[in-house]
Amino acid sequence: MSRVARPPFPFALLRFWLVRILPAWCGIALLIFLMQIAVSAIVHDNEKVKTMLAFIDMLPSIVKSALGGEMLRMGNTAGLLAIGYNHPFVMFLFMLFAVGTPTGLLAGEVQRGTMELILSRSVTKAQVYLCAGILTLVGMFALVLVMFLGTVAAVNIFTFKDRVPLEVFFRIAINGGLLASTFGAFSLLCAGTFGRVYAAVSVAVAFLVVNYFVAILSNWWPRTAFLKPATLFYLVDSSNSWQGWPLRNMGILVVILLAAVSVGAVIWHRRDLPL
Amino acid sequence: MAAIEIESLTKWYGRTRGVEDVTFAIEQGEIFGYLGPNGSGKTTTIRCLMGLLRPGGGQVRVLGERVAPGRGTQHARIGYLPGDFRIWGRAKARRALGLLAALGSDGSAVRRGELAARLELNLGRAVGDLSKGNRQKVALISAFQHRPDVLVLDEPTAGLDPLMRQAALDLIREAAAGGAAVLLSSHDLSEVSAVCSRAAILREGRLVEMAPIAQIVQQGEHRLKIWFRDGMRPRNVPLAQLPGVRIVEQEPGMLHVAYQGAADAILKWAAQFPVDRIATPQTSLEEAFIQYYRQPNADHKAAKGGRS
Repeated sequence: MSRVARPPFPFALLRFWLVRILPAWCGIALLIFLMQIAVSAIVHDNEKVKTMLAFIDMLPSIVKSALGGEMLRMGNTAGLLAIGYNHPFVMFLFMLFAVGTPTGLLAGEVQRGTMELILSRSVTKAQVYLCAGILTLVGMFALVLVMFLGTVAAVNIFTFKDRVPLEVFFRIAINGGLLASTFGAFSLLCAGTFGRVYAAVSVAVAFLVVNYFVAILSNWWPRTAFLKPATLFYLVDSSNSWQGWPLRNMGILVVILLAAVSVGAVIWHRRDLPL
Repeated sequence: MAAIEIESLTKWYGRTRGVEDVTFAIEQGEIFGYLGPNGSGKTTTIRCLMGLLRPGGGQVRVLGERVAPGRGTQHARIGYLPGDFRIWGRAKARRALGLLAALGSDGSAVRRGELAARLELNLGRAVGDLSKGNRQKVALISAFQHRPDVLVLDEPTAGLDPLMRQAALDLIREAAAGGAAVLLSSHDLSEVSAVCSRAAILREGRLVEMAPIAQIVQQGEHRLKIWFRDGMRPRNVPLAQLPGVRIVEQEPGMLHVAYQGAADAILKWAAQFPVDRIATPQTSLEEAFIQYYRQPNADHKAAKGGRS
């Protein structure tokens, strides 16, 4: 049997897809950036902080859990700034990109029938999968960087009474980015498995939502505390990042991420395109 | 060495047969027709050939290299036109075609502009805004633009007007004259008989015939039109005594019959009456095809030894 020569890497496809997702990425990045500025604008003013804490105290405890739980009770500036990282809206934006990018690129092209055209050219299925994976993971870390830059910009725009430990925010951001990338990897697995966008999105969103609500529930209701380690969110508890890099948790996330990407690659390679 | 070699190709979808034991080869410079009713396995064969489906058995070789599913085997040298051509609707035709050309070639040999001029297509328009016929022109350009050595074309002229259809057939002929091997799957049998030298007929996933077009036509029914002198026409045709004969049309003074095998019996019977004149209408590929289509128990002629 003759040896099959590997086609060159399809940079043209990578570029084509990048241009496709760029408007959505820019919109999400802008909102995440502005969110950090907005949170900082509130937090830098003592009076506003008092008002905000009073408002947060009025919220149901489950909502407080969703906004950062114990960190809010600390009442310090950094803890309050971290709301910008834990806020459900910011998480929603991250997850929108994590789920939307791989499913839109892989399952979307399959559903539209354009994947047949792409694969009829000199490109391997593995390369196509790799292009979707690169755009998802690099795009995700770029969003994390934008989030951190939002905090850096806010610290320079507003005057804070306490020093804002940016290195901690960097750690939280990287750890959060790893979590979002892990969800992105799971979405990539779904995109490689299902031929229909809605099926891939449904499974990926279900996985995400179950993780999120188990995390909130286990933080809020002591009797369900034993469920904490069962969610991926447990691995990015931002209180862990105050002391240093949470290397063990980051390692676990990296392993889960690589496992999801690998399983997705195998399924994608072995499955037939739907007729 | 054949440009395309398919040997004992088998593909099942669960318990449904896609294709079974399909074997044929296409030489360089040959235009090979691939015919069959809907669901007969043409698209399955083509997708296995393109490495888009994983065969259950057998093997496919393109330009001497075994096709590995999902590995883009020799795809830089293959021009592919799928039966259901779908492309990015919001992209301009030039950009969509540019992407397809860039995947696997440096673009230096691309003849997009020349083809667009021949097919009278404006590449500056979004593909989604184009009519069905113009989208088919985009499909044709995508298959031919990188000067492929192998062309796999599924219904290449669908939706084209007669002039453009002719232009498309010219492109196919030119490619073959330049040495390209062409697999042409089509329901338009006049198109197949116009450009193909050989054809295979597929039914229910199996090859039932593979031969030169002229031979396929010959193997079908033959036609005979007999005009009798006024008042002397036969009232009844004794079909029971004329095996293989059926009446196609009967008018006062004229009998149009189709027969299989030798014409001896029907001619001897007709000679009992005063015959005015006889005509032998040409059997078309379509008629031959319909015959294969109708024969549910036709012999399986996988034609393992039938390569030519």
